[in-house]
Amino acid sequence: MNKRLFTILATATILAPVCALAQTPRSAPATDGAAATKKYTPARTPWGEPDLQGTFSNRTITPFERPANVSGREFFTPEEVAALEKRAQEQSGDEGRNKGTRGDVERAYNDFWWDRGTKVTTPRTSLVIEPADGRVPELTEEAKKRAADEGKRPAFRGAGANGRGADTWLDRSTFERCITRGMPGAMSPTAYNNNYRITQSPGYVAIQIEMLGGARVIPTDGRPHVNQSIRQWMGNSVARWEGDTLVVDTTNFTDKVLYRGAAENLHLVERFTRVAPGQIDYRVTITDPTTFTKPWTVAIPYVDTGEDMFEYACHEGNYGMEGILSGAREEERAAASGKGK
Amino acid sequence: MVLQRVLVATGASILLIGSVVSAHHSFAAEFDANKPIQLRGTVAKVEWINPHTWIHIDVKDADGKVERWMVEGGTPNTLLRRGLTKASLPEGTEILVDGYRAKNGSNRANGRDVTFPDGRKLFMGSSGTGAPRDGRDAAEK
Repeated sequence: MNKRLFTILATATILAPVCALAQTPRSAPATDGAAATKKYTPARTPWGEPDLQGTFSNRTITPFERPANVSGREFFTPEEVAALEKRAQEQSGDEGRNKGTRGDVERAYNDFWWDRGTKVTTPRTSLVIEPADGRVPELTEEAKKRAADEGKRPAFRGAGANGRGADTWLDRSTFERCITRGMPGAMSPTAYNNNYRITQSPGYVAIQIEMLGGARVIPTDGRPHVNQSIRQWMGNSVARWEGDTLVVDTTNFTDKVLYRGAAENLHLVERFTRVAPGQIDYRVTITDPTTFTKPWTVAIPYVDTGEDMFEYACHEGNYGMEGILSGAREEERAAASGKGK
Repeated sequence: MVLQRVLVATGASILLIGSVVSAHHSFAAEFDANKPIQLRGTVAKVEWINPHTWIHIDVKDADGKVERWMVEGGTPNTLLRRGLTKASLPEGTEILVDGYRAKNGSNRANGRDVTFPDGRKLFMGSSGTGAPRDGRDAAEK
């Protein structure tokens, strides 16, 4: 399983300096999805559905899980938001480099290639909104055992982390292999290509995804899921309208992609609500009793960019895969000749 | 100043989270942290391809012998979105590369920090690019 990702997230949290917090009143700014939902009635398509169409970005500097130093607090103060945005605008991984380390290599290239965003698109202190502590629930005992077993296997199925073995490309993550980030990974922000285009027609909603390409074509005509024997990389999605909200229910996942230790038993319920002319409130509730001790929900603002989508033809020149596998062979040769590190 | 400390701490935690979101593939698996390399060369061609851009440069050694190197960058999509084009890095441009050599020993490196000889970063300093400022680029001042 993607143990490494866990480690990274856990480390990030631990390293976040813990300091005395000035307790500030909880406030729900106007940009927050939940608060705005009551006020805004989205436009309708010609056939009468709420209009979700547009090109959106979900990049954000809001943390995925609530950092320890704002524990117990749901929202950043406006002053904190301003400071975070100033910091993001001025930040640079190009400065203060720790040269000669794995971390510096993994940082890959100059900041101008990255597009993580510089805005706090939701003043919440975490994208995880349920449970109330803003943290991903604990894994079940079964999932912990799976993770431990997975850690012993050479092959690696995780989509989010960096992979482990390099005997074959099959050891590498489905992300590195240009296949998919899986779900809900494909709907979650990453370091660039955080762009989505939503189009609607009577009976269907389509979501085009820039990172790794591809589109989700989701029926809204009330049909049930396909037979459970049919398993897909992105699962099987069916949708319905609840008021102004598009509710997408996804099951039938393959076991070939992991999301935080979950795979074929994942059940996702996504909710898309246009809460302002330029913003969709996206929420996904993640349920898998074989992996998580309770369901949990992530809320991510999708902000209208009015920009074009670009093709990400990942197989066009994936020299990186060749470099990873041949690099591993070279390390083996060095080790065999006693020159290994 | 408790508030000041809170802001700094919060900012740091977010920066930390941002910085560990890595590229599409593992660079540490492809390039060797123990093989830092500095190259000075002229752009021979740029492959504006996905998932990663490759800048080909001609590097002259002390004896005047020219070797071709390939330097890995990020997705061209981000640059396109910021209004940069193929014309932004023309053939013959002299650049400095401070990166890490490929583990497989080939003439490949990642462009961990790529600048013009006067220290300016490539693609930086153009207004409206949306790229973070870091104060190193003279055009930012």
